[in-house]
Amino acid sequence: MNILLTGAASGLGAALLHDCIARGDSITVIDVGECPPDMPETVTWLRHDLSAIDPVLWDEISTAFARHGPFDLAVLSAGISATGPFEAISPQAHRQVSRVNLHAPMRLSLELQQRNALAAGGRLVFVASLSCFTGYPGAASYAASKDGLAAFARSLRKPMRRAGVAVQLLCPGPMDTPHATRYAPKGARADRRIAPEKVAQMVLDAPRARFVLLPGAGAKLAAMLGRLAPELMTRIMGRVLFAKLKDQTML
Amino acid sequence: MKNSGKACLLTGASHGLGLALAQELVARGYHVLGTGRRPLHELPTDYPDCAYLQVDLTQADAAARIAEWTAQEVPGPLPLAILNAGAGRYRPLSEETAAEMAEVLQINFDANLHLTHMLHPKLQGGTLGLIGSVAHRGAAGMPVYAASKGALDGFGRALAEEWRGTVRVRVLHPGPVATGMSERAGRPRDMMDSLFLSPRAVAMTLLDRLNTARGADRQVVSFAQVARHMLWRKLAGGRA
Repeated sequence: MNILLTGAASGLGAALLHDCIARGDSITVIDVGECPPDMPETVTWLRHDLSAIDPVLWDEISTAFARHGPFDLAVLSAGISATGPFEAISPQAHRQVSRVNLHAPMRLSLELQQRNALAAGGRLVFVASLSCFTGYPGAASYAASKDGLAAFARSLRKPMRRAGVAVQLLCPGPMDTPHATRYAPKGARADRRIAPEKVAQMVLDAPRARFVLLPGAGAKLAAMLGRLAPELMTRIMGRVLFAKLKDQTML
Repeated sequence: MKNSGKACLLTGASHGLGLALAQELVARGYHVLGTGRRPLHELPTDYPDCAYLQVDLTQADAAARIAEWTAQEVPGPLPLAILNAGAGRYRPLSEETAAEMAEVLQINFDANLHLTHMLHPKLQGGTLGLIGSVAHRGAAGMPVYAASKGALDGFGRALAEEWRGTVRVRVLHPGPVATGMSERAGRPRDMMDSLFLSPRAVAMTLLDRLNTARGADRQVVSFAQVARHMLWRKLAGGRA
């Protein structure tokens, strides 16, 4: 298979990359970090900062899509966060979250579509968050970016289906990744988080017909409660999470 | 009507739903600070008698300019801010351009986030209204607009909880309003347009939802809600 991954240097992206290499896939990676050593020849690593608005950079990405596409599977997993009270985080940091988590995947989708770089029968997976169901006080710009991404994915679902591309929305709860550890409240237990390897496997095995992908029983339960009582879930998140995050700001 | 002394900052006041909100606020005695992209001399003739600042929300200094102007015009706390300005285009992703996509996200989401940040000290004890859209759950005909309003919804949802007890945050999602925005956005006119909601009725409903302490942080204000509200006003003897 021909795969596109963003944010493959760590966390979920790295777990996906590992599995795809093991399967013998041909993989194009876009990541802000350097290509790790000993990467096999099946991996093309493009080092780009997706928060940048430089037209030259986006021309390079667009050209790469034309050269390496069409992709059978594209997983847009690059993301950052900023946690703490909204007003204690600088507008620049909020803006960076918006650029990486919302602007960039939308722009990548635009380039993929305009370059016909998604194969008929393929899948386009947006990595959102369980916060789409629960809210996320203490990470207002992060929650916003993921809800925006969810609305975008829902909007593309039907039009892309006509082109034979399945759009999917992955909404994982906290994963045992450097990203989650960095933004979690101090003292939060890592062993309660789902392993990124499990989430990666779920993404690779997901049936095309399923739109929302919720890895793990905990995420499924939280999403169900969030659907039934959204306001109550956000209040609980406020009591449980924001009460801890409001005294620590993490960018 | 006599000015009640209550001040309200309103973005996107020069046209459509924002204009109806400005008219209704002034009628209710608010000291309105309106902002919009249009120059002062191009304001519609029915723009009410209230302050106006021309500002383009795509500019990096827009939020700072609005916050500074508000501080000059309103010395004390600001009881109400309604961030209503919005833009959108009715077209599929394949017909989007990168620049216009970024512009819609900037006006509908990023600028609101920045302005909210700058208004935080002044809003203590007040109310922040974020005007979204029923499209926030996704709309095949306008994916970029839907994404921007989805982001605004998620932002307001988190912020309402963070600021509970200090600033009341409401995200209100109006249904289709007869403001001409849909047509300007590129949606061809059809018989559905005649069913769109009246801007005045929606404005009245939105203001009452913002001024009521009870109610959910996020509310849809579409056909059923507006009809119910207008009926209630009529029965209660209010003007409708």
